[in-house]
Amino acid sequence: MHPLLHLKYRLLAPLVLVLGAVIGYPLAFSLWVSLHNYTLTAIGQAKLVGAANYLGLLANPSYWRAIGNTVTFVLVAVGLELILGFGLALLLHHRATPLRHLFRSLLLTPMFITPIAVGLMFRFLLNSQLGIIPQALKALGIHVDWFGSRLALFSLALIDVWQWTPFMLLLLLAGLEALPTEPFEAARVDGASGWNMVRYVTLPLMRPVILAAVVIRMLDAFKVYEYVYAITRGGPGESTETIQYHIYRVGFLYFRMGEAAAMAYTLIIVVLILVIILFYVLRRSAT
Amino acid sequence: MISRRLATQAIILLILCLALAIVIFPYLWTLLASFKTEAALNRPLDWNFTPTLANWQAMLHSEIPRQVLNSIIVGAVTVLLSLLLGAPAAYSFSRFRTGGDGARFAVLLAQMLPPAALIVPLFLLMYTLRLLDTLWAVVASHLTFILPLVTWFLIGFFDDVPPELEEQAMVDGCTQWQAFYRVVLPTIRPGLGAAALFGFVLSWNDLFYALLLTGKHSRTLPVGIAGYWTFRGIEMGQMSAAIILAIGPVIIASFFVQRYLVRGLGGGAVKG
Repeated sequence: MHPLLHLKYRLLAPLVLVLGAVIGYPLAFSLWVSLHNYTLTAIGQAKLVGAANYLGLLANPSYWRAIGNTVTFVLVAVGLELILGFGLALLLHHRATPLRHLFRSLLLTPMFITPIAVGLMFRFLLNSQLGIIPQALKALGIHVDWFGSRLALFSLALIDVWQWTPFMLLLLLAGLEALPTEPFEAARVDGASGWNMVRYVTLPLMRPVILAAVVIRMLDAFKVYEYVYAITRGGPGESTETIQYHIYRVGFLYFRMGEAAAMAYTLIIVVLILVIILFYVLRRSAT
Repeated sequence: MISRRLATQAIILLILCLALAIVIFPYLWTLLASFKTEAALNRPLDWNFTPTLANWQAMLHSEIPRQVLNSIIVGAVTVLLSLLLGAPAAYSFSRFRTGGDGARFAVLLAQMLPPAALIVPLFLLMYTLRLLDTLWAVVASHLTFILPLVTWFLIGFFDDVPPELEEQAMVDGCTQWQAFYRVVLPTIRPGLGAAALFGFVLSWNDLFYALLLTGKHSRTLPVGIAGYWTFRGIEMGQMSAAIILAIGPVIIASFFVQRYLVRGLGGGAVKG
C-alpha cells in the first residue's frame, strides 16, 4: 500500500481540503489583493502595485491611530482582567468560601454571550439620557460622559473587562486547582501565610498559566469590533477606531480592498508572534 | 480566632456578591426593559411602571424568529461539519502524531486568525460564486474558526484516551478504523458534546462575518439585533427582548459546557 494511503492521512485529508478552501485560499488571495490596487468598484482593473499598499500604511495617520487605539485598549482591558480575574480566582479557590460553585457558574456567564448584545446592553445602560448609570450618578451630582472623546475608549475597555474577566477567572482557577500541594505545606511549615504565600508560592507556580491566559486574551482583544460597531462606530473623531473596525471600514465602506488586505496582513504578523509565544508556553507547562 | 475567620469569610462573601451583582445587573436590567413601554424607558429611575408584553409581541412578529432559525441552521450545519471533519483529523493528530508539532501549531494558529484577515477574500469568493446573502456563505466563514477550534478541543480529549483501549479492540478483531469509531469515539462523548456546544455558541454569537456576508434573506440573529439601534432610530424595548432571546439560552447552556472548557482549550498542546 502506498504510504500516503495510510489511515492517518486518510483521516486527515477532509480537514486539510476544507481548511485549504476556507483559510488557505483566502490567505493566498488576500496576499495577492494586498499587492494590487484593488477596489470593489473596479474589480476588473486591478493593477499590480507591489509593496505600495504596505508602504502607504507607514504614512497613513488613520492606520497608526487605529493601531495605537487597539494597543491601548488591549493593555487596559487585559491588565484589568488579569488583576480582577486573579483576585476572584483566589477567593473562589478558597475552600472555606461558601457557595463557591454557584458563584463560579454565574460569574463565568458573560464570556459565553454574543458581544454585540453586550455592546448594546452597555450602550443602553451608559446612555446619557436613557441610561440608569449616568442618571443615577447625576442624582448624586456626578456627571460622566461615558462615550465622549475623553472616555470612550476606556469605556469600551471596561465593557471588555465585564465580558472577559470571566475567561481569565476560568483559566486561573483551573490553574490554581491543578497546583501541587507540597510547596504550600512546606511554606506553611516555614511560617508563611496570607499575602506572602500568594507572592512567593502561588504567583511563581502560576506563571505559565498566567502567561497563557494573558496571551489568549490579547489575541482575542486585538480583534475587538462588536463594541465599536454597537456603540461608537469609531468616534468621536477617530478616538475609538480599532484596527479590525478600521479594516472593515476601509474595505467595506470605502471599497479599498487592497489597502484593507495589506492592513490585515500586518495584523496577521502580530497574531503569528503571539501564537508562537502561546504554543511555546503551553508546551513548556505540559512537560 | 474564630471571629477573625468569620470576618474574613464575610469580606470574601461581600466581594463575591458585589462581583455577582455587577455581572447580573445588565441581564436583569435588559429583561426589565423588555417589559417597559417607551415612556417608561425614558424614565430609567422610575420604578413605578406597568409591565407590557407589547415589545415581545412586536419582536415575535418581526424578522427576528426567521433570523433565529437562520442562526440555528448555520450553527447546526457548521458544528456537524466540524465534528465530521475534525474528529477523524484530531484522532490522527493525537494517535499517530501526524505532522508533529507543526500540525498542532497550524491548528492553533488557524483558530486565532483575525476575521479581518479573511473577510476580504471570503467576500470576493462568495461574490464570485454568487453565494452572498445565503446561509452557505456564513457556514463557510464560520468553519474558518470553528473547525480548527473543534479539532483543537478533540486532540486534547483523544490524548487522554489510553492506547491500550484500542489495542485491545484490535486484538479482538477490529480494524484500526473500527477501533476508532466503535471504541475510542464513544469514550470521548463528553468532549464531543462540549466541543459541539461551544462551537455552536461561537457560531450563534458571531456578528462580523454574518454582517458582511448576509443580506435581506439570510440575516442571523446578531445581525438582526445590531439593526435595532441605528442612526435612524431606536426600538429599545424590542431590542431588549431580542437580546434576552439571544443570550438566555446561551447562559443556560454555559452551565453544561463550563467544566469541560479548560481541558478543551488546553487542547493539543497540553500533552507533549
